Amino acid sequence: MPRLEVRDVTMQFPAVRALDGVSLSFEPGEVHGVVGENGAGKSTLMRILSGLQRPTSGQVLIDGAVVELHGVRHALSLGIAMIHQELDVIDDLTVAENVFLGSEPRRFGLVDKKAMNERTGELLQRVGAAFPPQTSVASLSIAGKQLVEIAKALSHEARALIMDEPTAVLTERETESLFRLIGELRAQGVTVIYISHRLAEVEQLCDRVTVLRDGRLVGTLDKGAFDLSQLARMMVGRELGDFYPDKRSPGEGRVVLEVKGAFVQGFASGVDLQVRAGEIVGLAGLVGSGRTELAEAIVGARKLSGGQIRVEGAVQSIGSVKKASKLGIAYVSEDRKNLGLVLGMDVIENTTLANLGAYCRPLISKKAERDATEAWKKELDVRAGDLRADILYLSGGNQQKVAVAKWLETRPKVLILDEPTRGVDVGAKREIYALIQRLADEGLACIVISSELPEIVGVCERVIVMREGRIAGELSGKEITEENIMLQAAGVAA
Amino acid sequence: MRKFLQEYGVLVAFVVLLAINVATRGESFLQAENVRNLLSQNAYVGIIAIGMTFVVMTAGIDLSVGSMVAVCGAACVLVLNKQAGGGASDSAAIFAAFFGAVGVGTLAGALNGVTIAYGKVAPFVVTLAGLAAFRSIALVLGEGGEIRSEVLSFQDIGFGGIDVPFLRTAVGQPLTIYWSLFAFLAVALLASFVLNTTRFGRYVIAVGANERAAKYSAINAQTVKVAAYTMLGALVGLAGFLNAARMNSVGTGSAGTFYELDAIAAVVIGGTSLRGGKGRIWGTVVGVVLLTLISNMMTAFRIDTNWQGLVRGGVILVAVLLQRGSKASE
Repeated sequence: MPRLEVRDVTMQFPAVRALDGVSLSFEPGEVHGVVGENGAGKSTLMRILSGLQRPTSGQVLIDGAVVELHGVRHALSLGIAMIHQELDVIDDLTVAENVFLGSEPRRFGLVDKKAMNERTGELLQRVGAAFPPQTSVASLSIAGKQLVEIAKALSHEARALIMDEPTAVLTERETESLFRLIGELRAQGVTVIYISHRLAEVEQLCDRVTVLRDGRLVGTLDKGAFDLSQLARMMVGRELGDFYPDKRSPGEGRVVLEVKGAFVQGFASGVDLQVRAGEIVGLAGLVGSGRTELAEAIVGARKLSGGQIRVEGAVQSIGSVKKASKLGIAYVSEDRKNLGLVLGMDVIENTTLANLGAYCRPLISKKAERDATEAWKKELDVRAGDLRADILYLSGGNQQKVAVAKWLETRPKVLILDEPTRGVDVGAKREIYALIQRLADEGLACIVISSELPEIVGVCERVIVMREGRIAGELSGKEITEENIMLQAAGVAA
Repeated sequence: MRKFLQEYGVLVAFVVLLAINVATRGESFLQAENVRNLLSQNAYVGIIAIGMTFVVMTAGIDLSVGSMVAVCGAACVLVLNKQAGGGASDSAAIFAAFFGAVGVGTLAGALNGVTIAYGKVAPFVVTLAGLAAFRSIALVLGEGGEIRSEVLSFQDIGFGGIDVPFLRTAVGQPLTIYWSLFAFLAVALLASFVLNTTRFGRYVIAVGANERAAKYSAINAQTVKVAAYTMLGALVGLAGFLNAARMNSVGTGSAGTFYELDAIAAVVIGGTSLRGGKGRIWGTVVGVVLLTLISNMMTAFRIDTNWQGLVRGGVILVAVLLQRGSKASE
């Protein structure tokens, strides 16, 4: 009998169907990999299994019995625990306090520290941790914190452990010992559900692998019955249709931006990159591969600790977004709501914010501001009724257009777009792709950072793939396929 | 209705209080002299509150303004006496004293701003330190007590102004609108102009609404913050100067005490969000007058002054509760 099972589970969100009739079972003592592109529905499935979210329809079964999970605590009490990518441990507490947080053993109404430390000690031994229960969590490495989380799950007698990208933040050696631990848990009959982008790891570790795509189950394969390129194909195989505009043939424009040996502490090292005028370059790679951090360092939003940046041939030191903007480099952030726009300000104020100087004569000319915003509204087809309304009330796609307009306002030479279509509906996506091409046609050098492979393949003429802070490869022309990108990004390319 | 209260709650409260006053003591309340006093009494706090509005809009706060009033006042009177003693004419000495006060205020504000923006220390902590330190400097300058002005005509600034034709006080003197009230109104007008039509004003809103997003929009958030605190410091200097002129002296231990609380209260009552990014000058002006109106009322109704704090506290809380919502629900 499967330990954990979903039957015909569907999750409908207002704009998107994240899961569509997925049925899947997880056996006791099995390590089961779940892979898929961003947006394939992995996270939603895990949220449902760990009690964070209830499916629109369909059933969850534990040991063959249908259950309705009321929340994380409820799932935990039934033996299902999730280890999130962003670890949930509290730095200010000790290891034992973290492990027993919310379920501290009591004696005469007080926390029984002795029993708590003893039991934590046993759990730590089980997960192979070398530190004592009284250690302050703040002093632990990421790997150590992960062990604390696993110990915590085991303290609830977890029989199914869901791990979301557990190795994303681990070194090679830490990864090895994690795999050893997973092997031991498997031997003890624990079900491990292992979500990862790293196909090589999945192949090495998992007894079975399930592939999700666009919210649907593509298939479940047994160990030995698949190879990596087959997995990659299953993950991305889809028809692109004429969703993307025809590819342009890039002219040989002059090199506008050149990055040499860029080093960003903890995120990127030795990155070389150049973009020509009129070119659309894709920057691909898994989440966490350092793409965004590299871009932020280029525009001075993050410290560039090493390397050189040349703008139109001249070496520049860029310490702030303001300086970058002056040099003609614009960055549209992936985090639209927190970094890309100022919520609380209206459409006009957001549009002119990065180029406000142009409207000061010397006082701000509200009329000039409005005229310019109207012009962008027309040019980019921004659907906003009242330009004096808080930008918050615009849809994702229209917000994104304003974020782009804000930077086009500065007449940049280089435009870096980070996840330009995240949270944007299909229609607006198309318009944004067309816009990127039009801008490139006008001679703008564009860098498109995206986790959506079809987007990279559909829009870019040249693709640079990053992996773990380094350049894993470069593709151009016909080489640009989702499969090739995925293989390089996952580090399995020859 | 809820939305209206959120937006104009302070005006509603003001009108209600006004109506109560007019209804219960119409004649004496509406006397020109009482109205004048009502508006001028808190002009010093008002000038400071205007500057405080900018600081609060950057999501900051300045607790040191009360002590700063004392330092600026002390500097003002010391410069005045020194100049007058050195043979300068009264008006030249007063002129120098004005620059002494404003200069010291500007410097103190800049110090706060730089520590907050570049030292990355919480505004509350930096200005709490300022609250203690500036008072201490004032006390040292005044040797623990009062510094008296040796220029008699200095007081003309404090009590001088423009006489309103036809209106007389209760004792038959011409009714004077003090310079301090003019200063308050001028500062308020100028400030609302700056907030609404200059780059600095727009940047203050952006930095307060979301500092990181502002930085990502090519704004130097640090400069904006330093400018806001520096501007507040200069206004505190102006308030310190006017205050000293009124007294013709400075009590280094007592000048400006609790001004920071009144100024912050007026800003908050006026509808400026302590979280930053949202604020208005006219709200602060109404907030200042509202606070004065409350004490004026309590005096008129002969309510024990010991109760005043309780009432003020209540008004601040109600104002904030009314204006909550819009941001909290986001």
